[in-house]
Amino acid sequence: MSERAMLEIKNYSKSYTGGKKAADDVTLTVESGDIYGFIGHNGAGKSTTIRAVVGVLDFTEGEIYIDGHSVKAEPMECKKVTAYIPDNPDLYENLTGIQYLNFVADIFGLSAEVREERIKKYADTFEITDALGDLISSYSHGMKQKVAIISALIHKPKLLVLDEPFVGLDPKATFTLKEIMHEMCEQGTAIFFSTHVLEVAEKLCNKVAIIKQGKIIATGTIEEVTEGQSLEEAFLEADNEE
Amino acid sequence: MKNNIILLKTLLRSTSLHNTFKYTKDKKKKRKVVGNYIGLILIYAMLMVYSIAMCVGYGLVGIIDAAPAMCAVVISTMAFFFTVFKTNGYLFNFKEYDMLMSLPFKASTVAGCKFLYMYVKALPWYISISLAMMIGYGFFAAPSLLSYPVWIILTFFLPIIPMLFASLIGFFIAKVSSRFKATKFIRTVLTFAFVILCFTLRYIIEAVFKDDKVEDTLEDISAKVDTAGGIYLPIRWFTDAVTRTSIISTILFIVSTVILFAVVFHLVGKSYNQINSALKSQATKKNYKMTSQKKRNVVNAVAFKEFKRMVGSPPYLVNAGIGEIMAVLLGIVTLIMGFDRIVAIVTQNAPFDSSILQPAIPFIAFFLVGMVATTACSPSLEGKNYWIVQSLPIEKTTLYQGKMLFNMYLTVPFMVFATICMCISAKVPVLDTIMYLILAVALCAYSSAWGCVCGIKHMRLDWENEIEVIKQGAAVAVYMLPNMFVVMGLTALVIYLGTFMNHVLIALIFILISLLLAFLSYLRVISLAKKA
Repeated sequence: MSERAMLEIKNYSKSYTGGKKAADDVTLTVESGDIYGFIGHNGAGKSTTIRAVVGVLDFTEGEIYIDGHSVKAEPMECKKVTAYIPDNPDLYENLTGIQYLNFVADIFGLSAEVREERIKKYADTFEITDALGDLISSYSHGMKQKVAIISALIHKPKLLVLDEPFVGLDPKATFTLKEIMHEMCEQGTAIFFSTHVLEVAEKLCNKVAIIKQGKIIATGTIEEVTEGQSLEEAFLEADNEE
Repeated sequence: MKNNIILLKTLLRSTSLHNTFKYTKDKKKKRKVVGNYIGLILIYAMLMVYSIAMCVGYGLVGIIDAAPAMCAVVISTMAFFFTVFKTNGYLFNFKEYDMLMSLPFKASTVAGCKFLYMYVKALPWYISISLAMMIGYGFFAAPSLLSYPVWIILTFFLPIIPMLFASLIGFFIAKVSSRFKATKFIRTVLTFAFVILCFTLRYIIEAVFKDDKVEDTLEDISAKVDTAGGIYLPIRWFTDAVTRTSIISTILFIVSTVILFAVVFHLVGKSYNQINSALKSQATKKNYKMTSQKKRNVVNAVAFKEFKRMVGSPPYLVNAGIGEIMAVLLGIVTLIMGFDRIVAIVTQNAPFDSSILQPAIPFIAFFLVGMVATTACSPSLEGKNYWIVQSLPIEKTTLYQGKMLFNMYLTVPFMVFATICMCISAKVPVLDTIMYLILAVALCAYSSAWGCVCGIKHMRLDWENEIEVIKQGAAVAVYMLPNMFVVMGLTALVIYLGTFMNHVLIALIFILISLLLAFLSYLRVISLAKKA
């Protein structure tokens, strides 16, 4: 592994019994400070790759390293430095927002002062503080997404993995999240997120990978992948070539 | 260890009625929580009364010494069967798997906490039985004072070992099925096979004991319970600990429970990720070609949706289908062995003419098929998908008609099959057989409509895990418990009436009663649907 690589996926493949390969020989590296976009059609293999990265999906082919630790061999070490926000977060509906955030803070061993400060900071930023005492079951999709995002941020992960993070967020929350992503990236956090909104990827990311039918068809810095075109044009070109 | 406690606490809090009551601002929801509490207290009280009555029976015939062992047998059996049905959904393949596994928990921690969660949620049932039997035993046997704290402490350990065995079986079923493409199908078949094996095992064991000429009189319950203690050591340990205040048995029981827990979850933890990955993933072929499609009317379309919902969920399918499968087995076994022989086995060769049981044939079939009505849990199973039917241009009444129709599609063929088999085997005259078939269908109609009344009245959409509404929902309990007792009562009544009344006339009376109940329930469904 290179010194600064926070996430390294090497020849990762995943096929389901009797089905086609959902991920086929995926190789990519996300370094500290990167905002890495993972682009592809619906069903291209983005979530299959992301779920393996965060240790949720078991896999046998290939290797995934987070901060130098193997996801297969040292899952706990990997999870301690990673935060994951799924595309449709299933939170405990009968807990209040604050109870859920405290649960995550407890797991990561955050002190009372630290959690209070961080929860307040992010809850204020996402304008959700007032609702934290209500049951999650009463939240809208966007509010649940905001709670999931706050739970991912409060323990200051070294690697932030997000699956379609902007779906369901209002424009202000979307802007706020982008700002936070920039801020985290400046502090050395690596961010790896999937999206099919090319404009977002183009403006936000310094690196992208395009996945099609489980295979990476283009990868590199935005400049390398686009070669002077827009990301949309580059994506369509790569898509048609394959 | 700290993380284990945090996770367990959160899991319990996330489904606790108390948390919902405390934080919800919805008054209707608060009232529902209070209703649920009252319902639960009533059920626990019923269990306690039944358990004390059992002890009174033992006390009156002078076999009160069998009470501790019987308590252990009842709790162990309940814990085992309840857990077999619940592992898939609680232990494996649960909704928040991705969220939990992405946090720094070991797989064995998550599995262990999920098990303990399942255990704590079921504990009030076992405590109700155990404490009631302790009181009954204390009254008749007047044991030493030390027996009481030992009994209370061991009550907490009694369900654990059977639950661990059931979890282990669930684990093996999940592990085997995760290797196949048709994961859900294999899992369902294996679960069915296992449950049927458990049900039939009792008769196989009894057949073996028959050779030893063990008579089935009340006094010989002690002998049977002793045998159970010989096969399953925790029963013996519990009995020794309570009746003789044996410290060794108490320690043996507690230590073996703890060791077994550690071993099972070390084993489960090793393949936990692999099994869940396989269970939560679905293979795709991506080779569909557009073919001609079928048009269904709205009610049938809803019924078809219900069918797909059922077959798509192994816990739902096993729960809804177990009665039907048992009815088919009963029908086949009756045909092969003969109605008289089956009656002799079930009644332990009680000396009476089996023909007096003929009017009860539809009720016997219904006892199995009507045990579960899909209509009781299907309104709640809509869960977060409820918006789909809410936003579609269909009346609520149509939606529930579809749900009832599906329950009819599911139950009628099995009821008819089991009834015909038993009628043929019992050599029931043709006219009587026709009447019993009509009664069977009428009972299905009643079951579908009454189940739907319970389902709508106790609809709960905010569940965390579908098992909560399939196995433990208020709707299911309200449908199942009275239904079970009513059917047992009606069976006894028709048998009694059959001794002096014409069987066709009896069937006709009960057809009319069933149809009336079905009609009234249907009207209630319509009225509830309009309000929903």
